[in-house]
Amino acid sequence: MLNKDFYSTILAQVISPCGNYLVTGDTSGKLSVFHLSKITQSDVVLSKEDLLPKYKIIVKEGFQINSLLTTPQFLIVGVVGEIFGYNWKSIRTTNPQRNKPDWSIDIPNRKNTLDTMDINVINYDTINNHIFVGCGDTIYVFDLERRKLLKNLSKHVDCVNCLSNSETDLISGADDGVVNIWDLRSYKVTNKIVPHLSEPVARTELGKWIGAVSANEDYVLCGGGPRLSLWHYRFLTYSTVFPMDDKGIHVAEIYKEKILAGGRSRLFYQMSFIGDVISEIPVSAATIYSIVHQEEPHNVSCLAGSSPKVDVCSSFMYKNQQLSLY
Amino acid sequence: MVKDASSSSIKKKRKATNAEADSEIDIYKKVIEFEDKESTNRQGSIDANLYFELCQDIRNLLTEVFELKQTDPSSKKLRDIQTEIFIKMCFIKKLNRTDKIRHVFGKETLATEKQKCDSIKLNYQNLVYELHHLVTETSKCLAFKSKDEDIELVPFEEFMKEAPESLTKKFLDYDANDRVQKHSLRLARLEWELTQRKNLAHLCKSLVEEQKKLGQDLVERKDKLNALRPLLMNIINSTKPLQEHLDISLKEMRVEHKLAYLLPDPLYIFYVNVVSYKNVNDLNLEVEIIGDQDDAVQWKESAQEGHFLKDDESDEQDQEVAEVEEVVEVKKRRHRKSIQQVDPMEEKKNKLLEIHPLKVEITASLPDGPSLTIIFSYQTRLKIITVTSNATLPTKMTGNCAKDVLMGDNILCELIDGDTGFESPNPITKYQIKKVGVTSFQSLIPHIGYAYHWAQKICGMDFLSKQMNCDEVGSTNVENVMKILFKRLESRTDLANQLQLLEQNILPKLPKSAECPPTSACSMTKWSCITYQKYCQKEFTRAFVEEDLVCPNDLFYSLLLTRANASLEALIVIKNNYPQSLPLFSLCMKFNGVHFAENNDEVRDMERLLNVEISEKISSVLTVQIARLRSYFDVYLETTDSKAFPQTMTFIRPTCARNRKRPFKFRNMGNGIFTQY
Repeated sequence: MLNKDFYSTILAQVISPCGNYLVTGDTSGKLSVFHLSKITQSDVVLSKEDLLPKYKIIVKEGFQINSLLTTPQFLIVGVVGEIFGYNWKSIRTTNPQRNKPDWSIDIPNRKNTLDTMDINVINYDTINNHIFVGCGDTIYVFDLERRKLLKNLSKHVDCVNCLSNSETDLISGADDGVVNIWDLRSYKVTNKIVPHLSEPVARTELGKWIGAVSANEDYVLCGGGPRLSLWHYRFLTYSTVFPMDDKGIHVAEIYKEKILAGGRSRLFYQMSFIGDVISEIPVSAATIYSIVHQEEPHNVSCLAGSSPKVDVCSSFMYKNQQLSLY
Repeated sequence: MVKDASSSSIKKKRKATNAEADSEIDIYKKVIEFEDKESTNRQGSIDANLYFELCQDIRNLLTEVFELKQTDPSSKKLRDIQTEIFIKMCFIKKLNRTDKIRHVFGKETLATEKQKCDSIKLNYQNLVYELHHLVTETSKCLAFKSKDEDIELVPFEEFMKEAPESLTKKFLDYDANDRVQKHSLRLARLEWELTQRKNLAHLCKSLVEEQKKLGQDLVERKDKLNALRPLLMNIINSTKPLQEHLDISLKEMRVEHKLAYLLPDPLYIFYVNVVSYKNVNDLNLEVEIIGDQDDAVQWKESAQEGHFLKDDESDEQDQEVAEVEEVVEVKKRRHRKSIQQVDPMEEKKNKLLEIHPLKVEITASLPDGPSLTIIFSYQTRLKIITVTSNATLPTKMTGNCAKDVLMGDNILCELIDGDTGFESPNPITKYQIKKVGVTSFQSLIPHIGYAYHWAQKICGMDFLSKQMNCDEVGSTNVENVMKILFKRLESRTDLANQLQLLEQNILPKLPKSAECPPTSACSMTKWSCITYQKYCQKEFTRAFVEEDLVCPNDLFYSLLLTRANASLEALIVIKNNYPQSLPLFSLCMKFNGVHFAENNDEVRDMERLLNVEISEKISSVLTVQIARLRSYFDVYLETTDSKAFPQTMTFIRPTCARNRKRPFKFRNMGNGIFTQY
């Protein structure tokens, strides 16, 4: 018989604050918990069981897990119209079969209609202990301590797909093709980029949606239907269009002066700011939807997407291991 | 030389003078004799030295003469010297003579020695010839063979035991190294063999005569028995009115029961069970025993005889005898073989594959559907049940694919999971067939039929097997197997009906419960059977082949959907236990490039929905799957390129969530609406 997990797609991953667990969330509404400590040891021969999840938690049957976030205390799961919070302690210690979320937040006015919205992204503001939730065309700001809605940011006209925040700014990308830069003090849009209007960046056959944004002090990185491109923060003009062979960008990140990017492509790319390819990693998924990485206590990065397999690298140069959901 | 010639002339002269005076001859002879003696006695080297001395002397004298002539030509001494020279010359002459004689003597001795040598050589040559001749003669003798060596004799021990004492007493202390004795032993044994053979020939003759006699006796008795038959028939016929009057038709039952009695044990068990099952449950099931009664009777008799024989054989000695007999048999057969040229392996194989003359045939049929005839045969040597089957199709069934799935072998394949019938359930079979040179049981299937495990079980046969499953045992009693069989037949008929329509590119009627839109903008353009090999060659089926989800016993089909310039090829694997296992779809879409599950999330999602998300295991599940596939294809095209493909389906948003999920899920609201969840 064909295993149901054969067709599972992992949309989100997170590594626990202690660095020993990898949690993946897939389209069947299941959290799978892997132990990273053994997998990352290079000299150990791994059995098949070591590469399987230690246990699984069903969050909400039939609804896909769209986003995951870790705070020092909680694992926050974005499903469809609902956010669940699990205490990390309970995930690590209690019987996983009876694992119930410690709390949940309903996204207002969205539940139980036909038009229920996926919570595509949750970001964490460490200073204020706020979370930014991208759901539908709105970004919701919650105070995590009281789990109270602080603000609706609704300037997008279609689903928000990705967020990136610094101390003062929040950058969002959505299906309407606009990248908005918000000032977090006033919650106003200060600037915006519209990549699909620039000729060399646009790809009309794929659409205008933005799948990934990332930023540092000088640059904004974004891609999706349009090609992956690097924009000057201040001048809002593109400086580099990256030479990737892809059918849509879903993951992009500025990391240690390098660009990491993936999406509907057989390769995951590591590139320099000027667009030179540093490495290409062949991946098992048709589309990469999620990447997580850490250096301590285990130097590891995990790539996951539309495949029951999670590719594990110790550097961004080649695949070391492959975890499997079944 | 000149001197030689002169000396010989002198000899001649002397010879000439011989006749004139005998006295002279005497002297001459004496001289000669003396000279001979002298020459032999003297040594040549001394003579030579003497000669050199003389020459030197002469030379010295001549110089003296020369000096004298210079100084005093008229010296008196001159004369003396001259004489001296002459004397020396004479001396030389004498030496020459003796030398000549000696030379002649040497020559003569050489000639005589040579002659001697020649005669010895001749002698030696003769001896060599003689030797050679003798060698060839001996080898001829050694190579001699007599016809008696080909004759097989009774072993020595037996000969000593059985032959009369007059023949054997000489050899009581037989020594194998004594050649003479060995030879005489051989002669004696040959003689014994001859007498024995003569006796045997006599015996054979008498036995043949006896056989003839018995044959005649048999014919006579048979005639008598034949004469008895009409009498018996008369009696039976005369009882008929009475039977009719009492309303009992014993005859047919009796015939059946009589045959049943002749069935081999396993088939008998099955027959009894299936007949009672049929009688209790009113089913479209016919049970019949086929085969010739006479053959069966004969077989039974011979089998019983075989049993007696076996009992006797329990004695070890007798077993040995049997072996000897077998050897004799083999010899005879070989002899025959040279005439008929029959492969002994082939003969053995045929013998091994012998089946019981009686078979049980059951026919399961569905109302206006196909009927399936299954024949159970018992392999008497292999001790297993083999099954052949045949399906009669209703006339309206015309499609190739449809006919295919209703073929008997196809229906019965994997009736119980993993039971292909390709392997013999009896572990001994492997060695039996190896012995006759057959490597795999599978190659015998066309001859003898399939050896399904369930067939053994319903016939009450049990073998040591690799996996013993409680479930399996439970489901193998006759009732369960018959239920499974009918269920399989029904589902296969349903499947065949669907395939029949699909082959004409018509979507069969959807069940009411099916959640999918009734119409579609795309069209089914092709439905065809494909082979396992072809299936494996496609790139987009690789994952299934690697995961071992398909096996060559499954059924493979290809479906092509088209809409405008887009096409969707679906390869479908239908498992034998359809619809318990869902048909497995592999998709490959051609629209702005080639898309399949490994490079396209939407195609992957379609496959997921078709292969794992359908829960209803109804017999028309294939139709439901195809109908859904059609709608997925429409939704995909309309959400991807709304300009080229005008919207015919209703959906709220074309994509949703980060994985840009398409609204493949159909909801039966109003005219039907597609959503993501």
